Amino acid sequence: MAAMATAANIGAVNNIYAKLSTEWDKKPPNLDECGRLLNALKVKLTQCPMNFLATNSENDKRNVILARGVLEIGAQWAIETKDADAFERYMAQLKPYYLDYSFDDLEESTYKHQLLGLNLLRLLAQNKLADFHTELELLSTEDIQKNVYIRHPVQIEQYLMEGSYNKVFTARGNIPARSYGFFMEILLKTIRDEIARCIEKAYEKISFHEARRMLFFNQDAVESYKEYVKQRKWVCNAQDDMIHFQREEKVEEVVPAKDLVEQAISYARELEMIV
Amino acid sequence: MPDKDPGAPSNQDVEMKDADKPEQPQPEEVKKDADVLTMEDIRQHLKHIEKAVSTKEPRFMSRALRVLVNLRKRLNSNVLRKLLLVYYPTGSGGAATKNPLLDFLEEPMEVDKSAGGVRPRTGKAAALTQIPEIDIYLHLLVLIYLLDQKKLTDALSCSKQLMDKITPSNRRTLDMLAAKCYFYYSRAYEITDQLDQVRGFLHSRLRTCTLKSDYEGQASLLNLLLRNYLHYNLYDQADKLVSKSTFPESASNNEWARYLYYLGRIKAILLDYSEAHRHLLQAMRKAPQHTAVGFKQTAQKFAITVELLLGDIPDKSVFRQPMMRKTLQPYFQLTQAVRTGNLKNFGEVLENYGGKFQSEGTYTLIVRLRHNVIKTGVRMISLSYSRIFLADVSQKLLLDSPEDAEYIVAKAIRDGVIEASIDHEKGFVQSKENTDIYATREPMTAFHQRINFCLDIHNQSVKAMRFPQKSYNRDLESAEKRREREQQELESAKEIAEEDFDDFP
Repeated sequence: MAAMATAANIGAVNNIYAKLSTEWDKKPPNLDECGRLLNALKVKLTQCPMNFLATNSENDKRNVILARGVLEIGAQWAIETKDADAFERYMAQLKPYYLDYSFDDLEESTYKHQLLGLNLLRLLAQNKLADFHTELELLSTEDIQKNVYIRHPVQIEQYLMEGSYNKVFTARGNIPARSYGFFMEILLKTIRDEIARCIEKAYEKISFHEARRMLFFNQDAVESYKEYVKQRKWVCNAQDDMIHFQREEKVEEVVPAKDLVEQAISYARELEMIV
Repeated sequence: MPDKDPGAPSNQDVEMKDADKPEQPQPEEVKKDADVLTMEDIRQHLKHIEKAVSTKEPRFMSRALRVLVNLRKRLNSNVLRKLLLVYYPTGSGGAATKNPLLDFLEEPMEVDKSAGGVRPRTGKAAALTQIPEIDIYLHLLVLIYLLDQKKLTDALSCSKQLMDKITPSNRRTLDMLAAKCYFYYSRAYEITDQLDQVRGFLHSRLRTCTLKSDYEGQASLLNLLLRNYLHYNLYDQADKLVSKSTFPESASNNEWARYLYYLGRIKAILLDYSEAHRHLLQAMRKAPQHTAVGFKQTAQKFAITVELLLGDIPDKSVFRQPMMRKTLQPYFQLTQAVRTGNLKNFGEVLENYGGKFQSEGTYTLIVRLRHNVIKTGVRMISLSYSRIFLADVSQKLLLDSPEDAEYIVAKAIRDGVIEASIDHEKGFVQSKENTDIYATREPMTAFHQRINFCLDIHNQSVKAMRFPQKSYNRDLESAEKRREREQQELESAKEIAEEDFDDFP
């Protein structure tokens, strides 16, 4: 009885999956339709979890591949609809399929490295460096050095650490897959703030147009650039067309009496405890 | 005599000197055969274990366990076979336990005549093996022997049997032995590359140990689990385990050293370099002073890497220590490359020693050092030049273009690495003049840090002091005897004084 029910479920899942893949393969895919199908599939997958998780029989391997395929399409759909949270959730579900289930004959998914690389890029864009490094540990060194999907985020991280932001900007042109573009946009916004802060501290004055170039605003984006300048409260001197930055004056150092007293008392206490 | 902590073998094979001679005098048998010596030693230990069980004092057990490393080298098939024959009663009751263990040993080469010295003592020996501790101890010896002989499949099944014996028992005196057994069980699986199967078991034992407040078991199981996770690079899970569990305060120093080392490694991957450095230094301090060389070398390698990542350059004396000099050679070159800020050298070191770094697990950390090299380079340039063109900067640092140099210097200024300002129109960097550092609060904070550190060490060493056991007093003379002795001394002193007066005219 239970077997029949699960068999019926599997049949239903297969049907919906077939519909989803045809829908997804259409160019351009109808995103709403895909979204609806994905939600239906998610529910169905949880209803018969035994068949879609790790066991060893032949039948179940097909089911596992099916489940993985669903999640992969889901992750890519989340990118298309620009939903970073949904992407995060799909990746969390997908990771066991890539990393933990050590099926010897389960062939590698074609999207594996691409999605893993996308995940790394997402962590970078959200400035979660510690998570980035832990994720990186889980991949083999060969993947990191050879695989183009993964090498891209690793290089971006290196450029960010060094501070050569112009390399990041040019790397925007060399993304290995179209889906990387979404996170690159977010990343560029983040580094724009970084560069602005660097400019404030490093330069005494800089010309209006030079600053625009450094912040990666194009020729035709002058309006958005002016918005940005206003947002950061930079004052532009109209005569020589330069932006001047305030230099913080050194405040007269007051003797920090309270701190000194606390420290001295703690030393005295410790020393008294020495027998 | 104050008791030292139980001698635990560390990650690699090390020598541990037998610091404690057995108390009772040796029996008078002829000592030509090394096997006979080993048999005698093992019998001493079995007596210790028996005493430990009867008096419920852990130090006898720790004494027996401490010598385990030394004993390991002297085990061979003959010794073990004789032991098993002696201590398991030859009656039908013992036959069941005797056979599985004997199966693991080889057939004896010949019938030794010297076996006459060790007669099977059926009465007393039979009573001894009723104590499960003896049984487990002998089983453990067999397992260690199999591991050393690299008979891996045998070792696996032997360890499984051992676990089956330990798991149902609830004896507190078994705790220290059990901790050792977990270690070797996990080690057997590690050598055969099947560590992930052990995890579930280790977790369930950890639960049991924590509930029973079995501190040694808890400590060694936590360490084994961390080692397991780190072996598979699962730093996330290791971090969660650390945050959710407490390491028992009363664990032995060796377990503490291991725990701090694993903690340091986890924190280093998670970019928390100052914490990682502190943990690794403490791990090295808690390690035994003259032995465990392998452990200290590995910990030192990680400590150097983390220190470089923090931006400090480790002292040259660190590399000069006699037992570290050779293994630390690649790290020495790495330090030099970072110190001079030379990207080319850094790239060369990475290429030459990349394989070695990878096998030691420090490669991912070292790759992150590239940024440090550039930072040091920028700092040196800023110190030496009051004004320099950006194009020259990019040339010196081997960067790709002056634009790169501009961004990098701007970031360095923002991070506080250098004090300078960039003039974009004319394309140069100008350093600010140095302020007198003694006029700021810097010296006070530096001193404060050092003072706290010293006081910390002082407090820790006071806590770590141990006082002699009560038995020490037994050997001392009691008060009466002392009074007697003093009186006698007074009298003899008086006599001598009188003699002197007599002699002098």
